[in-house]
Amino acid sequence: MITIPYLTAVSTYFSYGLLFAFGQLRDYSRLIFDWCSTNNLQGYAPICLAHEDFYIRRLYHRIQDCFNRPISSAPDSWVDVIERYSNDNNKTLKRTTKSTRCLNLGSYNYLGFGSFDEYCTPRVIESLKKFSASTCSSRVDAGTTSVHAELEECVAKYVGKPAAIVTGMGFATNSAIIPVLIGKGGLIISDSLNHTSIVNGARGSGATIRVFQHNTPAHLERVLKEQIAEGQPRTHRPWKKIIVVVEGIYSMEGEICQLPEIVSVCKKYKAYVYLDEAHSIGAIGKTGRGVCELLGVDTADVDIMMGTFTKSFGSCGGYIAGSKELIQYLKYHCPAHLYATSISTPSAQQIISAIKVILGEDGSNRGAQKLARIRENSNFFRAELQKMGFEVLGDNDSPVMPIMLYNPAKIPAFSRECLRENVAVVVVGFPATPLLLARARICISASHSREDLIKALKVISKAGDLTGIKYFPAAPKKQEEEKDRIKLD
Amino acid sequence: MMYVRALPTTDVNRNTEWFTYPGVWTTYILILFFSWLLVLSIFNCSPGMAWTIVHLAHFSVTYHLFHWKKGTPFGDDQGIYNRLTWWEQIDNGKQLTRNRKFLTLVPVVLYLIASHTTDYQNPMLFLNTLAVFIMVVAKFPHMHKVRIFGINADQ
Repeated sequence: MITIPYLTAVSTYFSYGLLFAFGQLRDYSRLIFDWCSTNNLQGYAPICLAHEDFYIRRLYHRIQDCFNRPISSAPDSWVDVIERYSNDNNKTLKRTTKSTRCLNLGSYNYLGFGSFDEYCTPRVIESLKKFSASTCSSRVDAGTTSVHAELEECVAKYVGKPAAIVTGMGFATNSAIIPVLIGKGGLIISDSLNHTSIVNGARGSGATIRVFQHNTPAHLERVLKEQIAEGQPRTHRPWKKIIVVVEGIYSMEGEICQLPEIVSVCKKYKAYVYLDEAHSIGAIGKTGRGVCELLGVDTADVDIMMGTFTKSFGSCGGYIAGSKELIQYLKYHCPAHLYATSISTPSAQQIISAIKVILGEDGSNRGAQKLARIRENSNFFRAELQKMGFEVLGDNDSPVMPIMLYNPAKIPAFSRECLRENVAVVVVGFPATPLLLARARICISASHSREDLIKALKVISKAGDLTGIKYFPAAPKKQEEEKDRIKLD
Repeated sequence: MMYVRALPTTDVNRNTEWFTYPGVWTTYILILFFSWLLVLSIFNCSPGMAWTIVHLAHFSVTYHLFHWKKGTPFGDDQGIYNRLTWWEQIDNGKQLTRNRKFLTLVPVVLYLIASHTTDYQNPMLFLNTLAVFIMVVAKFPHMHKVRIFGINADQ
């Protein structure tokens, strides 16, 4: 639950109104200036309508230097960020050859597999030498190697389902699989804060889409009841299939899904559950098996489990795990399997090795150490930030922590101030988040040491004081000192 | 310090969901009040004239933004709202919601204040009445997706 000071909400609306007004003024003056100049594209339709890219031109381009920063090293706990400069007020940015070493608080490097790993990397290099970088084919033609078969078995066993199918791209997993699972005459009920890949897949399927209030099983039940009673639009026939799509950890909120309640609601109304574990697989749960393990949900109750390998496993691609019949059906029908190039073999080997490390099958307990460290790090960081007075979202144990900024001017101010102190953070604003709720999203990794986190806390505190984002009163420190003095006496 | 809770909405249209968060109505009313003060300080006219100017400026700005401009200022939604004005997009097209009732009430209240402070004299009364008539008719539920004489219709 996000609590905003009322004055901040009002001032944020004022700021956006001002930015919008100035953007419109600039557009009108550009229209007047361009009246004189002619262009030789008469008769051609415009690439985009005039107002469609208003947001990009007038708001996003002004603070472009805070996004899309190129890096020149592996995304470890410290990363080399390439410096850029602009001669025309951020309309174009030019790269220099210099780079600064910054503390990396933006990569989804939850278990620290993002850089050289003593077990995984030698095996990946071996696999690269044996199988080469690309399979140069789709899975059905010539793109399935023994590593791919091993990977699918390994993932299915790890997640706790009978079978799995692996694709080369995480986003494409959602947008290519959902249209195969459901079509016209079906109903998709998705959480209001679901990722764009799910929205794209749902829109591409042709099914009717309904949205329920974020993480509220009571509202989901109301929507299900209403929709089942009404039936398909206009014909009112019963729905062919109902799929409820939720995520394990929501990447912009850091909240963990209320899976047990949602699964019980879906069972009651006989709807299928599709769980997207992109951020939660490998990061939460005692052995890293995701939100089902953390919340004690039987994996047989979740019909389709989807996840990606980009976050905790340091690789690329996505998977779908389900019953043997489902995976067989997907292998015959899914375009990501039939036509898209298969995941490259070294990346597949990275995933297999990462899973072996997490489960301890490589003969050491590094996996358990990593899981314990990420939990410790996230809880420590979140508690310290909240003590300083920041508004931090997300549940305990979740490695994603957004710090609320709200005002549009604080987005570039916070980002640039942190970069000046050599801390790289990711800031997100409208339209990826709601208009009022701009935030800086911190992703904690198991490879961050205690000193790294303390340095990050110092820098964020300084930047927070400068930009005024400590919306809550800081926890009093003086009382603790007095208590210590009394104890010593 | 007063805090409010920001509950996430079920509106998927990013162009209109910002209107469901707390603080919008207050901001709207404060903008009108501050613009009245601004007009008073720039033009050095009577309070009634200032309210008339605010009312007419409010009419032109809100008519253009709510009932003339169509679509959304970003391209991610692939143009599904390209035929709808902002007024037709809010609350997913549902009529007579709280937000719509508030937005219909604001021009009427402004009209009453403007005509009262100018003592119902012409020509201000005529202009104010014309403005509020157009504003309120444009917001009727029956006018949803109606384009009179094809004005502002698509090709």
